[in-house]
Amino acid sequence: MKPTSVLTMLLEVTDLDVRYGRNHAVKSLSLSLPLNAIVTVLGANGAGKSSLLKAIMGIVPATSGSIRFDGQDITGSTVPQRTRGGLVLVPEGRQILTSLTVHENLLMGAYPRKHFDHRETDAIYDRFANLAQRRDMQASVLSGGEQQMLAIGRALLAKPRLMMLDEPSLGLSPLLVNQLFTLLGDLNHEGLTLLLVEQNTHMALKVAQYGYVLELGKVSLEGTPDQLQDDDQLQAAYLGG
Amino acid sequence: MLLMQQIVNGIMLGGVYVMVAVAFTLTIGMLNFLNFTIPALFMVAAMVFWATMSGGFGEGFDSLFGSVLPVGMQWVVGVLLALIAATLCSLLIERFTYRYMKTRYGDATEHAIPLVSSLGFLIIFEHIVIMIWGTDPMSLNSPFGAATWRVGGLLIGVPQLISLVLSIAIVAALHLLLKRTKTGRALRSIAENPDTALLLGVDVQRIVPVVYVVTGLLCAIAGILFAINYRTVGPYIGEQVATIAIAGMVLGGLGNIWGAIVGGLIVGLLEALATYWFGADIVKVPIWGLLLLVLVIKPTGLFGQSAIGKGKF
Repeated sequence: MKPTSVLTMLLEVTDLDVRYGRNHAVKSLSLSLPLNAIVTVLGANGAGKSSLLKAIMGIVPATSGSIRFDGQDITGSTVPQRTRGGLVLVPEGRQILTSLTVHENLLMGAYPRKHFDHRETDAIYDRFANLAQRRDMQASVLSGGEQQMLAIGRALLAKPRLMMLDEPSLGLSPLLVNQLFTLLGDLNHEGLTLLLVEQNTHMALKVAQYGYVLELGKVSLEGTPDQLQDDDQLQAAYLGG
Repeated sequence: MLLMQQIVNGIMLGGVYVMVAVAFTLTIGMLNFLNFTIPALFMVAAMVFWATMSGGFGEGFDSLFGSVLPVGMQWVVGVLLALIAATLCSLLIERFTYRYMKTRYGDATEHAIPLVSSLGFLIIFEHIVIMIWGTDPMSLNSPFGAATWRVGGLLIGVPQLISLVLSIAIVAALHLLLKRTKTGRALRSIAENPDTALLLGVDVQRIVPVVYVVTGLLCAIAGILFAINYRTVGPYIGEQVATIAIAGMVLGGLGNIWGAIVGGLIVGLLEALATYWFGADIVKVPIWGLLLLVLVIKPTGLFGQSAIGKGKF
């Protein structure tokens, strides 16, 4: 069941090309993301997953093709414009600001918003009790799992319409990976649309409604989790048989 | 008592160094950029202030303001013009050294080229001033005269006291701006990692000029206070003051605001005491001597932490 125009598309990427110098990272890639869905992008290292997210976020320019978000063409928009429009990226490696306190990191999440009540951070602290205990400590003291919570909490305070996550499970213990995917499912139930780049194919296909597999910058396969799981090619390449 | 008097003088003198040292440390901590034009900003502000007060802009200018302003209020215009001049010069430097070089040549030369071109701007500004007013030191008609307070046998110059209090207050305000405001948090994010700041929606290109405006204002206030205190200005005062302020900044630790305050006060004190004990000729020996000694024992300076530009605020 490919997402069709019957559903409202929050994000539509059409024939996207991204080049860094000689490196052709993303090649005429098309992808669409229905409102309130979780879509996952899978693939090996260097397949172009991170480049795709960076191009959608505007961190790297699209060489050609178009990106439509919420019905608007944002291909030429700057990163700050996109964040104000409701796009947010939880980057690979989390990029916590370690010289700021936990609380200041959360406040930075709300940076794109004009109207922000500092008490909105309470909801984040309710969700992540560990962060509440470390509220006024430097973020450098956080463990990997806590950093991931902070990165997601920070992204939530931007009040995003679409949250993109670049390999959020990387480096987490199996227990924390389970908690993370439960959290992503919860957020989706609360109405948040998610674009999830993962190497943990098994978990990603459990939570997502649709998936794309990238190979050398191109979409080599796409489909529902059931279709992808039944595909021999994917089984061999990414699911470990 | 004479020694106590020197200590008081030294701390007062330190106030000017503190502001220039903070200006240096701010650009290093935020942008990883040693801005060599800072002495010129200081000097331009002092010269513009002097010119407004003492007829440096010619009679036409004087009669224009003389007719509008009540007598004795000339210094207000002088202060405003000095602040504007230094801020504009500072923004010019942002536009043509920091921003231009960074976008043109990318990472490898990111640090060296703005550094050298800011040195070029220092020479340009000095020579523009020399072309207009020559190299001779000029004396200022101070609006505040030589008012002094006598406290238990110690002589405290009112202008010096004002400048010390003002410089500490301004630096404290700057600290609050960085710690408590949205813009301050954005600046500290840029200081730690410009890529992360951008990702979070900070318009880095638009907010970096804030650092240059603050730099210009700090240098201008320091330059005005210098002019009022010493009542002599000239095209080379920037270099004289800034070299000692740099020593103060390095002493306190690169990129650390509180370090710059302590360092600035120490070099001021040291200068006054060295003048008292050894005479004015060798006053720089103890300052640079102490600096070298501290760097040998603690290479990051008194309050310096890890790598430059990584989260000092």
